[in-house]
Amino acid sequence: MDGLILMSLAASALRATTPLLLASLGGLFSERSGVVNIALEGIMIFGALGAAIGTFLVERQVLAANPDASLWYAPWVGVLTAMMVGGFVGWIHAVVSIRYKADQIISATAINLMAIGIPAVILTGLFDNSTRSAPVQNRLPQWGIDGFTFSPLVYLAFVLVPIAWYVLYRTPFGLRLRSVGEHPEAADSVGIDVRRMRYSGVVISGVLAGLGGAYLAIGNLNLFVAEMAGGRGFIALAALIFGKWTPIGSLGACLLFGTFEAVGTLLGGGQLLPPSLVQAVPFILTMLVLAGFVGRAVPPRAIGKPFEK
Amino acid sequence: MPLVIDRWALPALALVALAGLWLAPWAAYDRETGSRGAVTLLPNRTLDFTGRTDPLHVPGQGAVLVVSALGLLVVISGVALGRRRREVAWMAGGAVLLVTATVGVATHAGTYRAAQEGELRTTLEEAIRDPGPRVDAEGIEALLERMSEQSLRATQQEALPLGVRIRRLPYQGEAPGLAAFLVFATGAFALGLGARRFRPVERALERVSDVAAIPATAIALALGAAAVVILALQPTPVGSGAEIEGWRAYLTGRLDVLWHSYYTLFSGSLGTFDGFVEALRLATPLIFTGLAVGLGFQAGLFNIGAPGQMTLGALGAALTGIYLPGPTWLVLPASVLAAAVAGGAWGALPGWLKARFGANEVINTILLNFIASALLLFILSSSPVFAAAALRILQALGLSLLVLAALLLLPPVRRSAARAPRPVAAVVLVGLLGVATVAGWPQPGDGPVTVNLPFKAPGSEPKSVPLQETARLPQLPQLFGIAPRSGSTQTTFDAAAWIAGAAAVALLLLGPKMGLRGAARRIGGAVVFGAVAYGVAALFGLRSQPVTVPPSTLNFGFVIAIATAVFMQFFLWRTRWGYELRGVGQSPKAAEYGGASIARNTVLAMAISGAFAGLTATHYVLGGALDDFALRQSLPTNDGFDGIAVALLGANNPIGIVAAAFLFGVLKNGGATLNIAFSDLTRDVVNMILALVVLFIAAKGFLPGRFSDPIKRAAARRRKRDGDDDGVASDLEGEGG
Repeated sequence: MDGLILMSLAASALRATTPLLLASLGGLFSERSGVVNIALEGIMIFGALGAAIGTFLVERQVLAANPDASLWYAPWVGVLTAMMVGGFVGWIHAVVSIRYKADQIISATAINLMAIGIPAVILTGLFDNSTRSAPVQNRLPQWGIDGFTFSPLVYLAFVLVPIAWYVLYRTPFGLRLRSVGEHPEAADSVGIDVRRMRYSGVVISGVLAGLGGAYLAIGNLNLFVAEMAGGRGFIALAALIFGKWTPIGSLGACLLFGTFEAVGTLLGGGQLLPPSLVQAVPFILTMLVLAGFVGRAVPPRAIGKPFEK
Repeated sequence: MPLVIDRWALPALALVALAGLWLAPWAAYDRETGSRGAVTLLPNRTLDFTGRTDPLHVPGQGAVLVVSALGLLVVISGVALGRRRREVAWMAGGAVLLVTATVGVATHAGTYRAAQEGELRTTLEEAIRDPGPRVDAEGIEALLERMSEQSLRATQQEALPLGVRIRRLPYQGEAPGLAAFLVFATGAFALGLGARRFRPVERALERVSDVAAIPATAIALALGAAAVVILALQPTPVGSGAEIEGWRAYLTGRLDVLWHSYYTLFSGSLGTFDGFVEALRLATPLIFTGLAVGLGFQAGLFNIGAPGQMTLGALGAALTGIYLPGPTWLVLPASVLAAAVAGGAWGALPGWLKARFGANEVINTILLNFIASALLLFILSSSPVFAAAALRILQALGLSLLVLAALLLLPPVRRSAARAPRPVAAVVLVGLLGVATVAGWPQPGDGPVTVNLPFKAPGSEPKSVPLQETARLPQLPQLFGIAPRSGSTQTTFDAAAWIAGAAAVALLLLGPKMGLRGAARRIGGAVVFGAVAYGVAALFGLRSQPVTVPPSTLNFGFVIAIATAVFMQFFLWRTRWGYELRGVGQSPKAAEYGGASIARNTVLAMAISGAFAGLTATHYVLGGALDDFALRQSLPTNDGFDGIAVALLGANNPIGIVAAAFLFGVLKNGGATLNIAFSDLTRDVVNMILALVVLFIAAKGFLPGRFSDPIKRAAARRRKRDGDDDGVASDLEGEGG
């Protein structure tokens, strides 16, 4: 009996970890290139919106022509849309903060504010309802063995951790990306295009955060709901810092935060602790980390500073 | 304003206005549910989208069209003239356009109002001729006689008790259209720019454009982007029996939708007293959060934690307001103070973490937002259940933390702790873990414990018990002796006292310029001047002025918000502390070299910033803006994020922030109206506009450098003046030749 609870707790912890991990890895690429990305929250919302609407439109189009068509690919179109939308929103953040040298936090705040207003406007246009989309009929499949099944994006998120590590630490691209985040002037002097590296970092972060949003919309649920990210973008950012801006560290932090979320949900009906208190614990931990009580978190040195050539 | 300083921009606007005269509605009438309406195009062409409207003939529209077009052509021809003549042409053309637009709109409104009055009169006369069982014929005759002296609505209301029920009058919702607005705006700009030939006007215009260029451009761009969304979402509303035929009708319909939606956004708040007060009410919390974020920016800090500080402020105010016994004069200020202190402490914490450990305040304030919202959720959740052991652990930890805090207050302990902070912290953590283990050891008879927090209101609704009567801020109508939530009320108030007060304050401020030196003389002069002003006003009988107070929930929190803005202005620019704070914000290294402590100023700035955010509780809790005087889960903490937008738009200075908050209040109020007026538009359009404003302000580089970069702008201005001098020279040559 206890084993079963533990198994289901582990499974729901993995599910709760996935969107955090995807966004956190996204933030990793952006912040290692020297661009703060507190827009992860907004990008996740836009990604979720893109996934739900992409899937919905494909379904509507195909089912109108042939009601019996097989639509296994519809959610994958949604995933692709989410990646593209996320990348696009990340690109806006990049243009405003790299090209026009705006304060990166203000630019990201604008994107987070847009993530409140624009989805509602689009939903009103498409569904006559400002808070939720129509449910899609084909959500992402579940892969796995009996009872222990996960959306493909869960596997993808965990596979992406070693890939991110390899890209950042074992490829020329990663070396350049890290160098423009630590010392852009030096990187510039050896011929690295600082702006281009930062653009790629921020757009990659958008794509990954968009994937995180897609998981929320069509992996975990089957529709888009307003404010669906529910602060996960910020938590992912906290996890990134908790993990000291490394892929492995982020994985650990995301697992920890995901477990707290799962425990909080489990306690919702339990009689141990009020869930609201449990869910506050990761934030307190992150603050302690930031203050240096639990190991020191050293950010990339040039983070937040626009590059003046 | 600043955009049209360019020589070409005003003629371009005039060209647009010319096109508008041809295609856009001059005025609209018979606006009905769903925003269907009929529109008038000059001269006397009517497009009816309702399918049931009989158009009227409005006199003089041909003349309005011709004169407007001529005026616009004069303005456009300014491009080809030298500077002097251009300015004369613009002033003359502008004056003509202003007068024509005003007269044209007024005749249109007058014609349709006369038609309405005629309809009303006919109905009343019919009622006299053929009185029903409950009709008071004499009363109606009296009403007919005085109906020209009062508004139609008043007549309608008075007719009801006399037994005449009047159906909806025709031609309601008469309003000016896009074409009239374009002509008017072109006229106003032309007049203003033409008047630049007078030195003071030019200087005033330059000062305005220095301050307002970026915000105004960002707002204009955001409204432009919103136009695309509005047109995409909202088809032209058409009643049954009406059809849109031809491309011109289609285009006019689109333009009418666009114009009417903007008109709806702004007219409610700026055109009626009730709407104005409502906009102020919506602006109140935004003033607080905008000031909070703005003060942080002035010190070089990004306080994104206003939502959390709001929550803590609300908590502090609620607890004080519920439990502190005593008379109003004690409880009410104490509650306000508690809001500021609690918010300030929540803000000072990340400030201290930054000053002491270099932890980034942005991420810490975000985290504290989540912690605050979890805290609020816990406090207001219905009967939280703990396991006995967990509860014991929490109690033990809380006690130990209190002991630790007390120990840290002792100087020797603090000194030795500061000498080796890491090991001490490690020892403390291990100690706490030990305490937790001992306290949490399972004991026989452990069962779940339900903790009933005493201030949680009974029932499942997440809110606290109501505040004591002594802790409630009055609503502003109450200051005039009117019970809250009563309808529009006639009352009298002592206008003389207000005039006297204003006069005294004015003298206090202007004293030095008028040769009154020294505090004693200024204050004495102010008192005497105030007394004289009171006497004069009393002679004119202003001591009991009748006023109509609209029903309003604008509360005293608004006054506190304005006072906070005044305080911030004074603090930043008139005190040493404020000077240091701004110094640290602009150039930390230089400020430190000059003797300012970065650490102390960081904590101070975050504390004040948090206190400002906490004071939103005066509006939401003590002012009862959430429908009752209690702490509620629904506390709209998003205002904290909107505060960022307000501070950016207001350029981080108090006057700008109050203005920006008011603009946001207007837009939010307008958004609510938009929701009702149009079938396919929602208030989210407004949220989108606000976000875009922030984005455009953030991307200042996106705007022409002349607007965003003061140095470049000054250079451009110098060049332009030199160039214009050449222009003057060539003018003179032209005249000589």
